[in-house]
Amino acid sequence: MTNNLIIGQYVPGHSLIHRLDPRAKLLIVFAYVLIVFLANNVVTYTVLSLFTFVFAALSRIPLSFIMRGLKPILWVVLFTMLLHLFMTKEGDVVYRLGTFSIYEGGIRQGIFISLRFLLLVLMTTMLTLTTTPIEVTDGVESLLGPLKKMRVPVHELALMMAISLRFIPTLMEETEKIMKAQAARGVDFSGGRFSERVKAIVSLLVPLFISSFKRADELATAMEARGYRGGEGRTKFRQLVWKPLDTSFLVATALLAALLFLLRS
Amino acid sequence: MAEPILSIEGVYFRYPNQSEYAVQNVSFQAERGEWLAIVGHNGSGKSTIARLLIGLLRPERGVIRLFGRPLDETTVWDVRRRVGMVFQNPDNQFVGTTVEDDIAFALENNGIPRDEMVERIHEAVRQVHMESFLEHEPHRLSGGQKQRVAIAGILALRPDMIILDEATSMLDPRGREEVLDTVRRLNRQRRITVVSITHDLEEAARADRIVVMNKGEVMAEGTPEHVFRLGGKLERIGLDLPFAVKMGSRLREKGIPLRVGYFTTEELVEELWTLYSKK
Repeated sequence: MTNNLIIGQYVPGHSLIHRLDPRAKLLIVFAYVLIVFLANNVVTYTVLSLFTFVFAALSRIPLSFIMRGLKPILWVVLFTMLLHLFMTKEGDVVYRLGTFSIYEGGIRQGIFISLRFLLLVLMTTMLTLTTTPIEVTDGVESLLGPLKKMRVPVHELALMMAISLRFIPTLMEETEKIMKAQAARGVDFSGGRFSERVKAIVSLLVPLFISSFKRADELATAMEARGYRGGEGRTKFRQLVWKPLDTSFLVATALLAALLFLLRS
Repeated sequence: MAEPILSIEGVYFRYPNQSEYAVQNVSFQAERGEWLAIVGHNGSGKSTIARLLIGLLRPERGVIRLFGRPLDETTVWDVRRRVGMVFQNPDNQFVGTTVEDDIAFALENNGIPRDEMVERIHEAVRQVHMESFLEHEPHRLSGGQKQRVAIAGILALRPDMIILDEATSMLDPRGREEVLDTVRRLNRQRRITVVSITHDLEEAARADRIVVMNKGEVMAEGTPEHVFRLGGKLERIGLDLPFAVKMGSRLREKGIPLRVGYFTTEELVEELWTLYSKK
């Protein structure tokens, strides 16, 4: 199981979106989160949806994967829709049931808000589906680079993130090992009352913590032995290359913003 | 005689808040291209020596000289570039997310330009036969492979010396052979000095010279042949003699005229089956 473990939800591929510079993707998604709020009528929502669906289609990620990512939030979307359906009292009454009335404005608002929510989640999932965690880390480090002047330890934060990513599978393996070892000593992880289960988890967490601290200590020693002395004077092996493709995607996003601004009511 | 690449003289060290010395009055030398083994039981101070050698710890008294210069704040980073260390736990020294990232780590630390990095990484993986694993994540590698990556990480810096600090003790027999063969080859072909710190006398048997540590002091020093003659003395300080050596001395006790000077099972077998034809 741990052998083909994929950290995050990354789906390997070579599509246009996969090849985008992580910085470009981060910027696009960040801008998108703001742009979404420009849409406020049928035309603007159509344009926005069109852009998003084309973006998703370009990633060549199977629809089933995307749906799996969206599933957990479907309830929230549904709930928002119903909420708006009953709470908004605008326009003509469309349907009346006892004391409840559904207004035209309610239907519109319900559809718009849940669509907005759906598009937001879809776009952010596209980022995690097409970018490896380490690429995201590199992208964030590079984008936050200017903050170094304000003494924000950007390099250290990025290194911390990279090391945690590197150790996720290792710690998962270790967790499995400790669970087996404790199970062999009679610890029951699956059954029992709540208090018993908490106790079982403690018997897992304590050894895991101790070994993690030992690992941290040894890793720090090894890093120092390999000449690590902070970010100063360091070169980087993994390099981000900004391509014309990245610029064109950024321009497309800017155009989308301009279009929405013109078409909104 | 050429100046030794490594010499330590009268070194004392104790850990903070401890009255007893972990290492006391230790002196020895290593020459360029030599394979020196430092053996000892747990707590004999051998791992402390490894940490002293690359400046992770500082001696209380005594001088450590590497490449003809004393080890201090001004030389320590240069020493860490020229001396690589492979630690015991394969997982806890793997920094990068992939093999190439990990090999690049020390290069990045030393500010090597990226183009040269790529070249050096390829050269290094070839030497440890890990070419086809460049993009592998650590959890998809065996212990022996991870240790070979650690060696590649050192080789990329074009080192003069490699220190193995119990580097094979967590590996299975096959992984251990992989690692030792790699180091042996580098030692022979590239004249890289090897200091291997171990409690395993089978491993030490491959060295040119052995330093035996006990309770923080040097107990004996010499060629494997010379050291193994101590026999029972080594066993009394918690070391296990190689099977071939034990077997050989038993056979000699029984009056079989074996010559001395074999430390691996293959050598003993060779000696035994040619015993009568030589007469």
